[in-house]
Amino acid sequence: MTRLIGASVERSANLPHLTGASRFVADIQRDGQVHARIVRSPVAHARILGIDTGEAEAVPGVIAVITAADLPDVRIPIRLAMAETPMANRFLQPPLARDVVRYVGEPLAVVVATDPYLAEDAAELVDVDLEELDVVANLGSGAPVVHQEAGGNVVVTVPLRSGDVDAAFAKADVVVRDRLRVHRHTAVPMETRGLVAEVDQNSGRLTLWGAAKVKHFTRQALSDMLGIGRDRIRLVEGNVGGGFGVRGEPYPEDFLIAFLALRLGRPVKWVEDRAEHFVATNHAREQEHELEIAATADGRLLAFRDLARCDQGAYVRSQGILPALLPALHLAGPYRWEAFSIESTGVITNRTPVGTYRGPGMTEATFVRERMLDRLAAELGLDPAEIRRRNLIPPDALPFTFAPAPGSADAPTTYESGDFPACLDHLLARAGYEDLCRLRDSRRAAGECVGIGLATYTEVGSMGPFEEARIVPTTNGRFVVHVGVASLGQGVETVLAQIAAEALAVPMEAVSIDHRDTDALANGFGAFASRSTTLAGNAIVLAAQDLRRRAAERLGVDPADVEFSSGRAMAESGAPVALHELGEGYGRFDKPHPSFSFGAALSFVSVDRGTGRVRVLRHLVLHDVGRAVNPELLRGQLAGAAAQGIGGTLLEELCYDEQGQPQSTTFADYRMPTVEDLPEIEVIIAEYPTPANPLGVKGGGESGMVATPAAIANAVADALGGAKVTALPLTAERVLDLLRGEDDHTWRNSRS
Amino acid sequence: MFVIPGEWLAADEAAGIDLTVNDQALRFDAPPRRTLADALRDNGFTGVRVGCEQGSCGTCTVLVDDQPVRSCLVLAVQAEDSSVETVEGLAGEAELHALQRAFHEHGALQCGFCTPGFLMLAAGLLRGDPKASPERVREVLAANLCRCTGGLPILRAVLAAQRELLEEETR
Repeated sequence: MTRLIGASVERSANLPHLTGASRFVADIQRDGQVHARIVRSPVAHARILGIDTGEAEAVPGVIAVITAADLPDVRIPIRLAMAETPMANRFLQPPLARDVVRYVGEPLAVVVATDPYLAEDAAELVDVDLEELDVVANLGSGAPVVHQEAGGNVVVTVPLRSGDVDAAFAKADVVVRDRLRVHRHTAVPMETRGLVAEVDQNSGRLTLWGAAKVKHFTRQALSDMLGIGRDRIRLVEGNVGGGFGVRGEPYPEDFLIAFLALRLGRPVKWVEDRAEHFVATNHAREQEHELEIAATADGRLLAFRDLARCDQGAYVRSQGILPALLPALHLAGPYRWEAFSIESTGVITNRTPVGTYRGPGMTEATFVRERMLDRLAAELGLDPAEIRRRNLIPPDALPFTFAPAPGSADAPTTYESGDFPACLDHLLARAGYEDLCRLRDSRRAAGECVGIGLATYTEVGSMGPFEEARIVPTTNGRFVVHVGVASLGQGVETVLAQIAAEALAVPMEAVSIDHRDTDALANGFGAFASRSTTLAGNAIVLAAQDLRRRAAERLGVDPADVEFSSGRAMAESGAPVALHELGEGYGRFDKPHPSFSFGAALSFVSVDRGTGRVRVLRHLVLHDVGRAVNPELLRGQLAGAAAQGIGGTLLEELCYDEQGQPQSTTFADYRMPTVEDLPEIEVIIAEYPTPANPLGVKGGGESGMVATPAAIANAVADALGGAKVTALPLTAERVLDLLRGEDDHTWRNSRS
Repeated sequence: MFVIPGEWLAADEAAGIDLTVNDQALRFDAPPRRTLADALRDNGFTGVRVGCEQGSCGTCTVLVDDQPVRSCLVLAVQAEDSSVETVEGLAGEAELHALQRAFHEHGALQCGFCTPGFLMLAAGLLRGDPKASPERVREVLAANLCRCTGGLPILRAVLAAQRELLEEETR
């Protein structure tokens, strides 16, 4: 039997995509379906005085118009226990605005018509009477209070402390401090969201197509909000056109479309348009940090203090306090600190709510920390690689945990495996770091503006609580493997089929992975926090063992001697048993603590002094994935994530004006990278298996993102020769400001 | 070509549109304001994907009389008497088009949503300019967006397919 784990098996999902046969949610057609259009708030903050739906209802073809008055008084719940607090629950979003609208794009009403064009026409006739209120348009403005019932705009303050910070600062030879900012940007998958809901008139069961990421949770949330048993709700995931964190969370529309199908007794379809997507689907990343780092004269890191303000947008959505919690978990990174103190505060603004986007919190924290490490290195006259090398946690200190100090939030940050310094050296060797420095110097001498930037990171992943797997042998000798994770286009079905086939010792072709239907598996937690391969993969291994054990009992042999072949389970002795007579194999893999992984990025950039345009000439990402199940697919994930990171650093920004009006609602205003903006990404996979799961794998789907903005920002700062790079994005306009020696004008629109 | 208008059609009154899609003569009944992208999808060509409806992302790219066109920016009625090609017509009877094979071999797709648009954009380029320089190929591919791969694997795939097609021609 050839080993499948570790082999770059071809993606199984490609053929229908190449021929146009794949089915995305917009391709779902149900008999008698009608089309919904959401009426959204045109202003950022207002009291709703009235909504007149009469004119819209009178349009021929319009079937229904609903407002909050038609709905039960429910809120979209928080998904993860670690992201939920009693205070956060006071800021949850109703499916349609009640009494007050709090961001541009907030759903106010829904129009249902026989044709989507008609629904869109009629939606413009819904007359909303709004009394505008003052707006919290950025992180700095504390007033007015956006949710009166909550009493303030602070959702949460996460304190994370380790060691004696004051004592460590007292020993410092040097302290660097600054204010740093990461801008609002987000995932923007090529497929917008969409849903089709239908109620079976005989069984009364509701089916919702268009599910993704966390189907089972969304089913539970809908069950609670609609007040019907979850056994009456089925969520189906078709092809999904990218997720990157934002797609598949329960949104207002998931409730609304399901509610309308129940109320109207007809299939209801909704496909988000791109302009809606830019205001309706979760935003991410915006935060400001005041960070100070203490070190000794020989470049040994002692301690840091960080005060963070993290934008939650107008409501706390299903990801709860993660926008404030995740940066806190990643500020310490892979370095040995004597002490640190973090206060990360999540605040409400009158803008689209914030969720998680690939590498959430960790990308922002890495930018903030790594930018300041370069400042420190410059102050001490150390090479950026050297200051990192001197402070990375050495391999003999693993497993490593930062012991929490009194008053600290509970944060299970344990680094289980790896060799951080060896990985850094590997990256530097692959980059040809010394030669690259010489190249930079010679190009500079010739008048070019070029720079090198480096960054390292830790990344939480493989998050629990658990996943299950069922392996069902079929009468034709195949194995259907049901899992509760999801595919967003990343190739997880191929990776899980490799694991299943190897565990069963059968060819890949004998295995199919089913992740599409909540009816197929009782529980499932979904595809987030780079967990699918670890959690579902290990559950599959356990399910395969269970199936083997069943076969061994029937055959009277040791489980290791069982062979599955030609539709039968057999061994040296005993009469072969038909596979489908074995029953099914079941496995459940529990993961009480997440696993952290390590990685690094290096970027070589040039800056056009005339235009401010930054070009990434080389970009390398290294990631320790524990064990690469499919190296080629992993490379694709790492390179794709790095490409997004380059876009987020240099091009993309969700801008708002002072009235909270979004300024980036088209692809012309929200510039995403194309082949013209990107270099070939150089990917390095490191494999230090973790002891925390039998497969030894850690996450990898987000990792190419995490250090990319930090590395590019450090490279731009290096190119600019000490200019004060403290804020992202580094668009041409902002880099021009820096070239002119002006303070980055990012700050003009921010708190000052 | 001038069309003498007869009776005006209402916004949602269907117009009969004669056109060819993937070498098949068809008649679409679509209201005058319906986009070509939506009309193609209504008629089963769901490989045409709608990513922005603003002409920016290129997921809806099809060929109209051999030229890559963003079908969200064209009204279906404007395609009267045209020859439209969609991804459904790209493969031959026996095997995939060189571009489709190259996309598979070079990791040029992940979620697959943008794939048909890129395939048709590249097919149009290589048909009109078979020997397009790598710089030209890169420039043209920058017209469309791919969020999963960033687009570099797509560039590699198109260049590989171009080599294969040129070799076939010289054989």
